[in-house]
Amino acid sequence: MKTFNFNIDEADTLWRRWKLNSERYPDKDAIVHWVAGEEPYRWTYKNLINTAKKYSVKLKELGIKPGEICANIIRHNENFYPLYLGISRIGALPAVLAFPNPRLHPDKFRQGLEGMAQRSGLDYIFTERELEPLIKPLIEKPGSTIKNVYFPLEWDLDFEIDPKADDEIEMIAGSIKDSDPGLLQHSSGTTGLQKPVVLSHRAIMNHVYQLGKAMKLTENDKVASWLPLYHDLGLIGSYHIPLALGIPLIQIDPFQWILAPVLLLEAITKEKATVSFTPNFAYNIMAEKINEEDLEGIDLSSLRVIINAAEPIRHDSHEKFVRKFQKYGFNPLALAVLYGMAETTLGVTLTEPSNPITELSVDRNELSKGVMKFSDDNSVVRICVSSGKLIDECEARIVDENRNDIPDGLVGEVVVKSISMFDGYRNYPEKTAEVFEGGWYYTGDYGFRYKDEFFIIGRKKDIIIVAGKNIYPEDIEDALNQTEGLIPGRVIAFGEEDAEMGTEFVSVVAETKAETEDEKNKVRMTILKAGMNIDVVIHKVYLVPSRWLIKSSAGKPSRKSNKERLIGITDSQVWSR
Amino acid sequence: MISPELKKVILKQLNLDDFNLNDATLASDVPGWDSLNHINVILAVEENFNVKFRSMELLRLKNIGDLQKLLDSKLSK
Repeated sequence: MKTFNFNIDEADTLWRRWKLNSERYPDKDAIVHWVAGEEPYRWTYKNLINTAKKYSVKLKELGIKPGEICANIIRHNENFYPLYLGISRIGALPAVLAFPNPRLHPDKFRQGLEGMAQRSGLDYIFTERELEPLIKPLIEKPGSTIKNVYFPLEWDLDFEIDPKADDEIEMIAGSIKDSDPGLLQHSSGTTGLQKPVVLSHRAIMNHVYQLGKAMKLTENDKVASWLPLYHDLGLIGSYHIPLALGIPLIQIDPFQWILAPVLLLEAITKEKATVSFTPNFAYNIMAEKINEEDLEGIDLSSLRVIINAAEPIRHDSHEKFVRKFQKYGFNPLALAVLYGMAETTLGVTLTEPSNPITELSVDRNELSKGVMKFSDDNSVVRICVSSGKLIDECEARIVDENRNDIPDGLVGEVVVKSISMFDGYRNYPEKTAEVFEGGWYYTGDYGFRYKDEFFIIGRKKDIIIVAGKNIYPEDIEDALNQTEGLIPGRVIAFGEEDAEMGTEFVSVVAETKAETEDEKNKVRMTILKAGMNIDVVIHKVYLVPSRWLIKSSAGKPSRKSNKERLIGITDSQVWSR
Repeated sequence: MISPELKKVILKQLNLDDFNLNDATLASDVPGWDSLNHINVILAVEENFNVKFRSMELLRLKNIGDLQKLLDSKLSK
């Protein structure tokens, strides 16, 4: 049986590692670019590296320098991958940003990109021609960090590389140190609040080593993924880990997957994939929203580990998935859970592959008071799913509000440390100081430890996680505060449990002077449309009269208190739909 | 032309009273119809009309007019 084999010292930067893999496994699949209904485009390690070299020549000719940030806003395209590698070869930092959804208002996209460019210091944008009218004006704006926008998918790559130019670039690649920044990813957020995380080559390589070892990856593994690469689970878990380990990635178009979730199962079946990563909601979708006819021929027996991460883990979702797919060869022991964040490159804890996940049946009321107590006959039960044990070279503590350690079984904030820790948010020292103390990252997540395993049960921060995507309520509230019919400053957004989809949905409560049913429906429609403009679907609207919302001590409406008030009781003053 | 029945099913699934749906309307134009909810809209249409769509058929849909045509083709079989 093959064992995990990865020696960081053999090649300690991204490019050196990819190059080594192309020498070691020239004809092995690196990336199988999956498009529904078509033969996939197969990049071998050798071809991928050779095309990446061509991109690096073009990039060098454009004058792009080591350390500069190249943001990629490109849809599912086979040439994205060599471009990404080519950016790294010249010592620049690739960053992947989401291609705007058609519903996102162009002004909101521009504002978001502008905010991100200034915060993250984006130097160049690589995108598709369609976005040129939106992005070009940003370059001309005073104070813009963006130097230019390019359309690399249109570049002619039908040329022989000049050996001299190639040598020069290889010199640059050879001069990159493992402590140098390797890539920029954004921790979370929607339009203007993303936090830029720069990771060094060393952090990424250490993570490939530690997480790869914990997952027991071998050169025989194959990763199948539908995850977008602007998300840390996709970028690090599904993309960087297989590429660094020299194993294939089967990459599905995220836009196609959400319309046809069976695509992941087809890719696993056809390519005999062994590993996958996906957020919790996807288990519900695949278990309940695919027609049986589409599942003809599906065989999941090759799947050795499927990792649930990026949003709260729900016992029901795993159960539904197993119930549905055991007859298609799925091994229930392939289920695994990872807990982590962009700030630690990706993972901090992981459940043991090929072992049952620990689940605790606890008393929900006691848990809400901060105590993990096993349920009894009188309990309202909550099943807490373990996120596993610490990955090697990671540490975690549970602390109270004064940042003092608390014993096992008590709920507190999870604070973590990792060999793959980020070096702080780029150009954002005040935010870094807020979450970073004495080498520990304060996650804002609530959880408890029990017998060396960590259980994440909630969040200190008000962030809403819909289908693995983090949404800041502030973004929604800002958009709504300019909306007609609402009282400015008297709007709150929050997340509610969506049991059917295995995730959360977005709710809004707003004070309004609208009185009749017709007026309230009009206000609701205005709220829904304002959400659409920032590409957020508002699922439920609560309307309340003036002065109904509870204020916090700072004088602002409190998200937590008002959510509890709305969900816990029936109030004739509350209109909802 | 979008049939009143298809319109009714879509609007009910999206919890909307009324919204102008025509052949050229995109899902992204309609409040609540995001990629996550798309699958629920499709399942509601399947259930209401007692038809089944294949994934590849769904991936080819560009607008609501295409959905109507696909539905019509299933119903005429």
